[in-house]
Amino acid sequence: MNLGKIALIIFTLSILTGMGSVLSYSEELSGLDIMNRVDGRDDGDDLIQKIHQKLIDKRGNLREREMVAFRKDYGKDSKSISYFLSPANIRDTALLTWDYDGVERDDDQWLYLPALKKVRRISSSDRGDYFMGTDFTFEDIKQTPELEDYNWTLAGSEVVDGHDCWIVDGEPKTDALKKNLGYSKTRGLVRKDINMTIRTDYRDRKGQELKHFRITELKQIDGIWTATKMVMENIQSQHRTEMIFSEQKYNTGLSDRTFSERMLKRGYRD
Amino acid sequence: MKQIFNRVLTHPKSVLLLLLLLTGVAGNQMRNIYIETDMDAMLPRHSDAYINKQVLEERFGSTDMLIIGVINDEKDGIYNTHSLTLVQELTDWLAEQPHFRTLALNDLLSLATIKDIRGSENGLDVEKFMDGVPENRAEIDYLKKRMHEFGVYEDVIVSADGSGTIFAVRPMPDTRHKYAEIYDMVKAKVEAMEARGGSERFFISGRPVIEGVFGVYMPQEMKRMQPIIMALLLLLLYLSFRTPRGVFLPIVVVLMAEIWMLGTMAALGAPIYTVTTMLPILILAIGIADAVHFLSRERLLAHYQAYAHRKERLIEVMHELWKPMLMTSVTTGAGFLSMLASDLPPIRDFGLFAAVGIAYALLITMLLLPAALMLLPEKEKHADRKPLFSGYVEWLGRAVLAYPKRIMAFFAVLLIISVAGVLKLDVNASLVDQFKPGDPIRKADEMLNQHFSGTTSLDVMIDTGRENGLLEPEFLQHLVDLQLEIEKDPMVGDSSSIAEFLQTMNQALHADDPAWKRVPDSSDLAAQYLLLYSFSGAPDDFETFMTGDYRQAHVRINMKTDETRVVAALLERMKGKTDAWFPEDKGFKVEWAGTGFTVHRLSEMIIEGQVASLAVSILAIFLLCWWMFGRLLIAAIAMIPVSLAVTVNYGMMGNIGIPLDIATALTGAMALGIGVDFAIHYLHRYHEESVAGRSYEESVINTNRSVGHAILFNSFVVVGGFLVLLSAALYPQMKLGALIAATMVVCYLATCYLFPVLLGLGRKKIRV
Repeated sequence: MNLGKIALIIFTLSILTGMGSVLSYSEELSGLDIMNRVDGRDDGDDLIQKIHQKLIDKRGNLREREMVAFRKDYGKDSKSISYFLSPANIRDTALLTWDYDGVERDDDQWLYLPALKKVRRISSSDRGDYFMGTDFTFEDIKQTPELEDYNWTLAGSEVVDGHDCWIVDGEPKTDALKKNLGYSKTRGLVRKDINMTIRTDYRDRKGQELKHFRITELKQIDGIWTATKMVMENIQSQHRTEMIFSEQKYNTGLSDRTFSERMLKRGYRD
Repeated sequence: MKQIFNRVLTHPKSVLLLLLLLTGVAGNQMRNIYIETDMDAMLPRHSDAYINKQVLEERFGSTDMLIIGVINDEKDGIYNTHSLTLVQELTDWLAEQPHFRTLALNDLLSLATIKDIRGSENGLDVEKFMDGVPENRAEIDYLKKRMHEFGVYEDVIVSADGSGTIFAVRPMPDTRHKYAEIYDMVKAKVEAMEARGGSERFFISGRPVIEGVFGVYMPQEMKRMQPIIMALLLLLLYLSFRTPRGVFLPIVVVLMAEIWMLGTMAALGAPIYTVTTMLPILILAIGIADAVHFLSRERLLAHYQAYAHRKERLIEVMHELWKPMLMTSVTTGAGFLSMLASDLPPIRDFGLFAAVGIAYALLITMLLLPAALMLLPEKEKHADRKPLFSGYVEWLGRAVLAYPKRIMAFFAVLLIISVAGVLKLDVNASLVDQFKPGDPIRKADEMLNQHFSGTTSLDVMIDTGRENGLLEPEFLQHLVDLQLEIEKDPMVGDSSSIAEFLQTMNQALHADDPAWKRVPDSSDLAAQYLLLYSFSGAPDDFETFMTGDYRQAHVRINMKTDETRVVAALLERMKGKTDAWFPEDKGFKVEWAGTGFTVHRLSEMIIEGQVASLAVSILAIFLLCWWMFGRLLIAAIAMIPVSLAVTVNYGMMGNIGIPLDIATALTGAMALGIGVDFAIHYLHRYHEESVAGRSYEESVINTNRSVGHAILFNSFVVVGGFLVLLSAALYPQMKLGALIAATMVVCYLATCYLFPVLLGLGRKKIRV
């Protein structure tokens, strides 16, 4: 065997193993793996941002709300507090949420009503219940769905706006879950480069198209990929909710006291 | 004219071919016929009831729900595990059907979907009354207690005594053409549930069901009645002519006219309404007269062998008959065309296409009969048979001369009774009342109205004129006042508005203290309550009660009846109140809509249209007679029998208690148009007898002898034809059939009995 031959064999082998590893890589990566990546994506330890909500019905009637929201992560749990800035008749209304990972423990929510000068606890909702009159359900507004409740399958790849994306289908594991969530199937597009779900289509329990979720504006803030505009549209009722996020501040070291009932009553001060 | 007749007779084959071709074209068009059962489509598009209904659906969603009621007459009513399991099962089943829209709470209301709002220790709980089927007595008792305390759904979803509960589900938009199918599907489901045993009984109603069943009944009825009336015609024709051509030629004429008419309707895009289903029968009954006249005359001339050649004879028949046929067709047509004075599309279409059909019948008679008779072999064996009712006709001539006073007295009494009846005449455009008493649909509806708040919707939309306007305490209080006022009406089962829910939330957030069951003190508080609710409820829970900008409010009223007078009285009573509570000068706008309101407007238009079309037809026919006879007095006399018959018609309705509705409203102008033919024929012949120099007595006897027979045949056909409608499944057709038949009898009697007497009274002055 001369050196040339050995070199050729090594070259060939290395190409084969290289190809093999590429092949095995894509074989190994399951729908659940991708969703785990999505779940594990860095979204900061805490965040302050302004939220502008637009509720638009099928006749084009617009209802707008503005709020400022604080969020802090506690491991897999998180706490958040949002103060309504407008419209005038709900100004200073504030919402405090303690969000627990997993489905064993219901989230805690309190709302402060300035006109009543009282804090009211909000009864726990079904995950499929709509949140605050928007087209998002309580399940939808979480960063990621509860991964163990769905069967995830990778259905292929697609290029969207020049970005390579995985197509991941999710199906709630049981009929009870389908009923509870209000979905029979979801199909998400996850950007391969940043592990972010940028689109999701939802089907209702009858299997008919129900909602489209789209991130319409996305940028990197303090090194963290952040959705700055998103829209959820209900295909059947033609009602849609747009959310515009601005003035993001990541990792400012928010104190635990920020998320207390006392702060809820005190209101937001610039 | 003779030239045209000559041409028809010279090219009989071409004429027949042309007729067949046109019939083929029309028959082909008939495939495009569609059936309209939407009650709102019976309103003119500019009517406020039509417009408001569109606005209502646009702003607050459709209120036309399919309603299923479950009644359990046992002690606990539906408050037992078995019944509640059925409720859960049926709710889940309905939610899964693709024909229903089940997005929001108000799309599918049942005991298993409605939500309870209640105060908890430190918050507001919004939860379904039933989260799964309650398993034990305690849970069931709690459910019952909450239903009563919450109040909003009591009587609406669960009957006050707990004996029954209902499901209200919204069909998908644009599934109207599938309403019948949806009804069958739901019926099959509940029947399967009933078949499993248990003491629960199910009832299905609601506007989609009623309209769906209508859509099925209508073509069925048309198909079923056609052969009956054809058999009747065949029988009468056989009795009159006793030859195959005498029986079949007139039938071919009217069938062709019918196909042409339906083809024209289809081509012009006119739908079939309940009332227009009667058009084919009408054309068969009326159109046959011309053919019968033609054949009788032809036979008479053939019998006397007045003309050597068949062609000459036929030309003579055509020449003799075209004028009187045209006249009677024009007067009948005028009666029907007067219906165009109505604003209601079904009545307008009925009048228009009846006139078109009559014109077709005349045209086809004048083309097909001569052409066919030219081609058919000439037979010499036309036996000299005596017409069937000759004896009666002879007797009649003498009888009227013998007893003028009795005849006068009879008609005077009839007139008095009728006028008394006219004063009692009522209007009712109820949709449910179009089904016969005892029809399953009507029974289900009655059952549901008896146990629950009612199946007829009536809606008030109030525009506050400004964003957030409906959150104002003063406005909310007025909504409450409005509901209280409306609910004073015993026929109003329930009403609901956003004010009720805000009251309940106010109470819930004040430790469920009943003293706080009042509207929130400030607009801000109301807004914050709604925000708070939005964390627990769905965004569209209240979409049927208010718009997202809190500007427009909707009060939904359930009524136990859609009878016109009830709705009219309620609207009348509310007018002053709404003006005071929601004044226009402060930017408020109050609009009514819903089935109850549609029915109310329909009734108004029926009356207006009725008066207008009667006036138009009387005037038109009077002028036509004046023009034809050339003398005002004769024209006036010609109007007497029909006017009397029409008065008797309305008098009968008043006396028996048949209200004017969209079908019976047709009878006046119809009877006038058909009945005046009798008078025209009669006067025409009497005129000729007089001119020939005969005395009054001779003229009467001769007139009876010649046209008396034809008029009798006409009466038989029309009366018989309309009596066939008595077998109809739909109430309006039945009533209309009976009324027209009875009116025609009166018209016949007035023409053949009263006429000669009247002519005798004025014989000095009337040298006809």
